[in-house]
Amino acid sequence: MPVITIENLKYKYPGTDTLVLNDVSLTIEKGEFIGIAGANGAGKSTLSQAVMGLVPQFYKGAYGGKVILSIDGEGEINTKTTPITKLCEYVGLIFQNPFNQLSGAKDTVYGEVAFGLQNLGVEREEMKRRVETVLKQLDIWEYRDRNPFDLSGGQMQRVAIASILVMQPSIIILDEPTSQLDPQGTEEVFRVVDQLSKTGITIIMIEQKIEKLASFCDRIVLMDKGRIVDIDVPDNIFSRDDIEELGVRPPVFTRFCKKYDIKNPDGSYPATLERTMALLVGREIDVTEDDIGEIQNGKKAESVVLESTGPEGEIVFNVSRLSFSYTADVDIFKELSLSLDKRPTAIIGQNGAGKTTLVRLLKGLLKPVSGTILFGGEDIAEKTVAMLAGKVGYVFQNPDDQIFKYNVLDEVMFGPLNIGMSEDEAREQSLKALELMGLKGKEKENPYDLELFERKMVAIASVVAMDTDVIILDEPTIAQDYPGRQMIAGMIHELSKQGKLVIAILHDMDFVADNFERVIVMAHGKILLDGGVKSVFSSENNEILAMARIQKPYSFLLCEEL
Amino acid sequence: MDIAKILKTKLDTATIVLIPACIGINYLGKLFASILKLPLWLDSIGTCIGAILGGPIIGAICGAANNIIYGLTTGDNITLIYALTSLGIGFVVGVMARLGFMKTFPKALLCAVGGGLAAVIISTPLNIMFWGGTTGNVWGDALFALTQANGMGVAVGSFLDELVVDVPDKLLTLIIVFFIIKGLPKKLTSLYDVNAEIENLD
Amino acid sequence: MKSISLFIDKGTWLNRLHPYTKLLYILAAVAVPLIGGNLWLFVAMIVSSLLILASGKIIKNALPLIAFSFTLIIVIFLIQGLFNHSNETAFFSVFGLTFYKEGVMYATGIGLNILNMLLSFGIFVLTTSPQELVDELEKSGFSPKFGYIINSVFQILPQMMSTKDTITDAQRSRGMETEGKLIVRMKAFLPLISPVVMSSLINTRERAIALEVRGFGRKQKKTWLSDREKNKGDRLIGIILVALIVLTIVWRVVLCR
Repeated sequence: MPVITIENLKYKYPGTDTLVLNDVSLTIEKGEFIGIAGANGAGKSTLSQAVMGLVPQFYKGAYGGKVILSIDGEGEINTKTTPITKLCEYVGLIFQNPFNQLSGAKDTVYGEVAFGLQNLGVEREEMKRRVETVLKQLDIWEYRDRNPFDLSGGQMQRVAIASILVMQPSIIILDEPTSQLDPQGTEEVFRVVDQLSKTGITIIMIEQKIEKLASFCDRIVLMDKGRIVDIDVPDNIFSRDDIEELGVRPPVFTRFCKKYDIKNPDGSYPATLERTMALLVGREIDVTEDDIGEIQNGKKAESVVLESTGPEGEIVFNVSRLSFSYTADVDIFKELSLSLDKRPTAIIGQNGAGKTTLVRLLKGLLKPVSGTILFGGEDIAEKTVAMLAGKVGYVFQNPDDQIFKYNVLDEVMFGPLNIGMSEDEAREQSLKALELMGLKGKEKENPYDLELFERKMVAIASVVAMDTDVIILDEPTIAQDYPGRQMIAGMIHELSKQGKLVIAILHDMDFVADNFERVIVMAHGKILLDGGVKSVFSSENNEILAMARIQKPYSFLLCEEL
Repeated sequence: MDIAKILKTKLDTATIVLIPACIGINYLGKLFASILKLPLWLDSIGTCIGAILGGPIIGAICGAANNIIYGLTTGDNITLIYALTSLGIGFVVGVMARLGFMKTFPKALLCAVGGGLAAVIISTPLNIMFWGGTTGNVWGDALFALTQANGMGVAVGSFLDELVVDVPDKLLTLIIVFFIIKGLPKKLTSLYDVNAEIENLD
Repeated sequence: MKSISLFIDKGTWLNRLHPYTKLLYILAAVAVPLIGGNLWLFVAMIVSSLLILASGKIIKNALPLIAFSFTLIIVIFLIQGLFNHSNETAFFSVFGLTFYKEGVMYATGIGLNILNMLLSFGIFVLTTSPQELVDELEKSGFSPKFGYIINSVFQILPQMMSTKDTITDAQRSRGMETEGKLIVRMKAFLPLISPVVMSSLINTRERAIALEVRGFGRKQKKTWLSDREKNKGDRLIGIILVALIVLTIVWRVVLCR
């Protein structure tokens, strides 16, 4: 008897007309590690929430078909009719936002993890024993007396996993658990996932970090527009010819093997580094740097050439001997010097490295304690934020910190109108920006009816429309699938071509390697490395990159292995 | 519309979690009003949103809990007493919203007057009982002093004192709330819909 | 994260006292002078609260709590001293304004009442952790749902407050003015508050899910990680406080005969 049986599942959210799940059938065996892949909007989260009973019990809406859990000693459980507060004994759910998963009722990590057990009425001694075991297992025992809200994203997410694990469910659902974490947090969480995969718990994981999916999963469910397209082992799924059309980019290893025709005995291409290397034993292949670049970018070399202005190009920002601190006793920057030309520039490093502080200083939102920042030769300390608004654009990380209009077009026109564009000009710029961000046809929609990944595009468009000379992006790729990342990449190339400086803070190293000419690596308020993609990620910098806790793009890892 | 329908309340998790969020919104409304140096409090935006989404009972709970918790965070039990006032505002706005008074702008203004009057009627006796009629607001208290100097009754003076302070504040609050509610997507409001049912597709 | 709770753990006897005992003290401190109807009883309770605060080493922390009430008290003195309807006996004059005895006495009563309430309440909020209060309330049968509301505000509000600067910066980055004429500032209010409302409602949905998947709202008796240590002081102080209230009532009844 499979642990999960889904039969002809159909679902519509309240007040909508489209079926987000359209006749989905699937069985999952006990102990399997199942991945769900697909573009945003394919129905991945909805499907996983149906297993948890949230669909339809929490959201209401229209529901058809059934989801049956078969739990040892409990018999068959229908997730439509069994209350979620009962289902939580069998199924656990972990989702993206670590902060929203904290109950908010407890002021210590220990109490937070015990919260679910209290609700289930577990005996005190048993409760203490379980909490201690889980905290130690996930390596957060030392934080037990801390306020969970004071932890970093990765730590918080591990608390969230601990809080679910402690309830000892038979099935755990991980819905993009690392999409909002920095590389270190991501690494911490995947280490935990790796542990979980060995415990025999049935796991369903939705993940855009496709290389991870390939290496963890027994089988992958490929979804598109509410339907299941295919269910198979990772190598087969990623070897499909139509995979990119379905909004999923195969792992770099699959792409590499496809190019060099390195096949498994069954004719599929390997999707992980290990399986690739295993096939390469005793084989010599001649790989050039250009080939790697091509695999990395997924395009022919000529199409990615930008109008590079080179290091000697026109200087946009000149930062000299900049010092800054939020509080008198902790310096964020000390005597930092840096000049930025028009090359698209990525700033990478751990949370707390000073990346956001640096770009806020460039935007004039913060004022230097000492030192100067020249923008186009003028000191920005003498300008107000409003004066700079028309020159330097800044897209904040969370679109929900800025969206307030009833429709997308008005939202995007807000900035252009504020900086003195005429109504017509603002409209023209806004429509152009919306088209660039793939939102054509959504001008009249309520931004909050859109999904988070689309709202991020609205926020980007609302700054692009201001037609500023510089555009700063803070974590633009969070929550984006492959088509979304392509869209952002296109925007970066387009703006660079127009002679604008694009600066982005990023955690997605493959995206950095694909789309930027200059990379600045920061740690503890200092610039550790600064240069082109190839030189920064070259193996001679391995030690420094490790120090900054940066994981290299997969293509570079592959190169090194070869 | 019968009374049971107007008072119908869901106490599920989504609604329970709405209440602290509304208290937070109250707090931030007040904070932004002071940052922008606006001459009003605007500290009941969340209570009104809670009342409109969750109904009169939830509105009342939002209001009362707001003042109780605020009292706990400032050590000020004067605020605590006015939990009654906030409760009244939340309740009245909730009832009027269920009666359709948040549907159009002119009706929303009436709803604001309703909320404002509820505040005045409940606060006035409290003001008299505890502080002899003053409210602590400069303009209101100046008016109160004027009425007292002219020999008007304490109740009348205190009523006017509260009226000039509360009604404009609630008016602006509900205008803002009206515009916010208008922009709320169905996806969010449907969570608090007391009449929501699961439709069957089989 | 900066806590918004006023609770300070100094490990004193006040921290060990049961929250209910401290609530009972507030009741006694407020009720005794009001029932007794004598201004000196206010003074007695104020002095007692100050002594208790001092013994709990928190008197310094209590002062800011009462500071704001002074303007209120001054306004009451001015209005009542000058305009109270029962004003007859001139008391003193300053700058040509005559203060009357009746009004001043009335204002004194109100002023003492305010101070008395604030100080007794101060003992409670400064020495009781909100989490402990809610735990105890729930153990006595208070609904965990309402307990959750109180607890979560203390956790969530600081987070919401921290979005204040981000939202302001995000809108200023798009050229919005936050300073200048009243109308400019009024127009800035909606772009600032709307994102707060929207994102908190969106977060609310996620948090509700997070709670449900952990069994919140289940019809089952909760269990607890620990019991409070029994404190002998609670019983003794409770008896004294109740006796005090009863005595005052009796005294008042006898006096009225």
